[in-house]
Amino acid sequence: MQHANKSSVLNLGLTVFLFLVVLTGLEFFIAAVVGSALLLTLTALLKAGMVLYFYMHSNHLLTDETDIERDSYLYILGTNRLGLWLFLLSDSFVFGGLMVARFNLLGPTRPELNQILGLAVTAVLLVSSFFMNRAEVSMEYGDRKGFLIGTSATLLLGFLFLAGVVGVEWRLAMHEGLTPSSGVAGAIFYMMTGMHAFHVLTGVFFLAIILSNGLRGKYTAERHWGVEAAAVYWHFVDVVWIFFYPALYLIGSAG
Amino acid sequence: MKKFFSLGLVKGLVYQIIWTAIGAAFVTLIRWILVSRFGFEMKLFAFDRNNVFFTEPAWVVGGVFGVIAFMVGVGAVNDWVKWALGLETPAHPQDEPGWRGYFGPSVDHKVIGIQYTLTSLLLMSIGGAFALVFRTELTRSGLQFLDPNLYNTLMSLHGILMIVSILLGIAGAMNYLVPLLVGAPDMAFPRLNSFSFWIAVPAAVLLLSSLALGGFDTGWTGYPPLSVRAPLGMQMFFLGVFVAGWSSILGALNLIATVLRMRARGMTAFRMPIFVWTAMATSLISLTATQLIGLSFQLVMFERLLGMGFFNPAQGGNPILFQHLFWFYSHPAVYVFVLPGLGIISELLPVFVRKPLFGYKWVAMSSFGIALVGFLVWAHHMFASGMNEYLRVPFMYSTLLVAVPTGVKFFSWVATLWQGKIRTPTPMLFILAGIFVFLLGGLTGPPNATVSTDLHLHDTYFIVGHFHDTMFGGYIFPFFAAIYYWFPKATGRRLNETLGKLHFWLMTPAFIVLSLWMMRVGLLGMRRRIADYDAAMGFDLSHLIMTIAAYVIALSVLIFFVNLIISIRKGREATGNLWQSRSPEWQVPSPMPAHNYPEPIEIVGRPYDYGLEGSVYVKVGK
Repeated sequence: MQHANKSSVLNLGLTVFLFLVVLTGLEFFIAAVVGSALLLTLTALLKAGMVLYFYMHSNHLLTDETDIERDSYLYILGTNRLGLWLFLLSDSFVFGGLMVARFNLLGPTRPELNQILGLAVTAVLLVSSFFMNRAEVSMEYGDRKGFLIGTSATLLLGFLFLAGVVGVEWRLAMHEGLTPSSGVAGAIFYMMTGMHAFHVLTGVFFLAIILSNGLRGKYTAERHWGVEAAAVYWHFVDVVWIFFYPALYLIGSAG
Repeated sequence: MKKFFSLGLVKGLVYQIIWTAIGAAFVTLIRWILVSRFGFEMKLFAFDRNNVFFTEPAWVVGGVFGVIAFMVGVGAVNDWVKWALGLETPAHPQDEPGWRGYFGPSVDHKVIGIQYTLTSLLLMSIGGAFALVFRTELTRSGLQFLDPNLYNTLMSLHGILMIVSILLGIAGAMNYLVPLLVGAPDMAFPRLNSFSFWIAVPAAVLLLSSLALGGFDTGWTGYPPLSVRAPLGMQMFFLGVFVAGWSSILGALNLIATVLRMRARGMTAFRMPIFVWTAMATSLISLTATQLIGLSFQLVMFERLLGMGFFNPAQGGNPILFQHLFWFYSHPAVYVFVLPGLGIISELLPVFVRKPLFGYKWVAMSSFGIALVGFLVWAHHMFASGMNEYLRVPFMYSTLLVAVPTGVKFFSWVATLWQGKIRTPTPMLFILAGIFVFLLGGLTGPPNATVSTDLHLHDTYFIVGHFHDTMFGGYIFPFFAAIYYWFPKATGRRLNETLGKLHFWLMTPAFIVLSLWMMRVGLLGMRRRIADYDAAMGFDLSHLIMTIAAYVIALSVLIFFVNLIISIRKGREATGNLWQSRSPEWQVPSPMPAHNYPEPIEIVGRPYDYGLEGSVYVKVGK
């Protein structure tokens, strides 16, 4: 990545983002017209694969580091990366368990939810991932201003997502009679969105931390593990939503 | 006095108690506002099954506050907070000197390993004491001195305390040994290592607090719908297990990173000691599957707090789902418990037989075989639960498949022993007993795995005997062997052999009698988890024998503790390669200094080539 020039890397991020937008639109279309759970699953897998490779740099884990000094920053950076990915692997079992619970309890039905709002919060999270990628790439090329703008935008969109899900979506659902204790559909809906929102909230905390440290100039092009970690975590939370969105809003018949 | 309160542990506990009260008061305040301003109808304080002074939600939130406060109080998160605030910290934090270092957030993997081990022994003693209490109650038919709720609580706490104690015990062994065996200066993430240990302490406090908060009567499995209706102690149990799970997950993460990134030069995969292989296999299970017991317990917690009907059929829920989520961890968990122990057996056997370990590669891979197959067998706990019947046979076969990689280990041990020059100091005695007892546990497995026999044996004392055999053979015996074997490495003194042999010769026969009698009454129809049994069944004598055996085991462990205390001060000095081992940690004087080897070590051969002339495993120093 270091050898490529900055604008081409940013353009790659933009291209990936546009692909994700098109695929999300496609999902919405598939759900409305075909209603095929298989196609929806495949689309979600494709989206998740793109985020994992292009935004979360899963290939960094395979870097050959046999010749690097053990005490060097680069080697420790590699160890940190591995640690973070192991954590994400572990965390994905929570979300996997929730998906199992959802399909075991609700089967081919889904809760009655506001489709427009669902698409809107999904879009917000998607755009936030785009800005997160910009912020990280900017830092990698020592562009502090680009980093600060990108991180601030991600932070704001993160808040907007939380407000959309917890503030608006939950309130609407309660108004419609879908409460945590109204039945198993409500229970699953609040548990899944709540668990995800909790992770978004922790991501927002990380973003606030790297923003405040970035404002004080703590990161450089060579040393910005904090930024990378927050970015990878943020994209991971996005990947979770890539699967939760169709599971809650698109797959199966409502009610 | 001031010095006492500045100890990390003491400060953490004080913080935990204070902040539990503050958290509970905070929730009560919010409820009071909801009641007085907005006209909600809810209780503020009460005394019944689910409200001991504070209400249940107040206790749960207080419990969470308390855990966080403990971690702040003990100082395990100091450096992370500083990093978040953009401050620098020293690369190698210094411990407090002497014994005080063991009560604070040390980042030295050897100190943390000993912290884990001692905490594990403490919890094992408490759990064992609970077992003695209800074992005494069972000596005769009829209720003697326990009421059923207290019996259930003690029985359930015995289970979970032993499980947490085993998790801490294997974490202690892995923490102490793996960096030494792979030649690393420390674990990959020393601060995370300290965090993983300390978070287990408030978890243990939460588990024990359930005794004071109404208890719980579900056993350690916490099945709904009973656990949805159980007293308040249930929530403390769920929360405690959830928090202890984080200790396990983060410890496993650290260990995997250490093995993958910090092995000495020349240590390729098939030159790693078997214990490192088993630690990796164990950690892969802990890292991933633990999340599902955490999730399943969280779901019940929310069902209790908010009426979310995941497991309530009246709301469309499914109690069987809980069992799937729960056993997806809790079955592989038994391999988490035994794999490191089996690794210790393979590690020590060649040392005391003076022969190469038979079939090294197969033994190495068999641990991963057990771990992988272990992920596919969970529903064999549910043959009698009313799950879909077509699932029974596939799970029966996958369970029987576990015998293949386990059999590889047994063949290796027997073939290693064959024609060896067997020496039998205390660690070797425990290893041999471990192999024998684990064989008992292994052979009593297939009748439980086979659907037709399990439907008869399910929930009887036969199961109790079976899993005590596997836990003793796979964990307790190897764990004691490891303590006798590596105690000189940690302290520079060795444990007293006479007391060690006394410990062994009391514990082993007593335990074998105990477990065989458990299986005997189980086959005759004794149900597990019950406070009383009918005198007409004629079990009184059997139970008397079991109770006596249990007390003999307790006595032997007491002797072990006496040995520990005497030997740490007055034990014979042993700073050299006491057991003539080829392993790198024994090539340097004991006890190990901080950051381990003065010079990086290099691996130049195979680990277990005992008795082969001219073979070298490791080069230490120049």
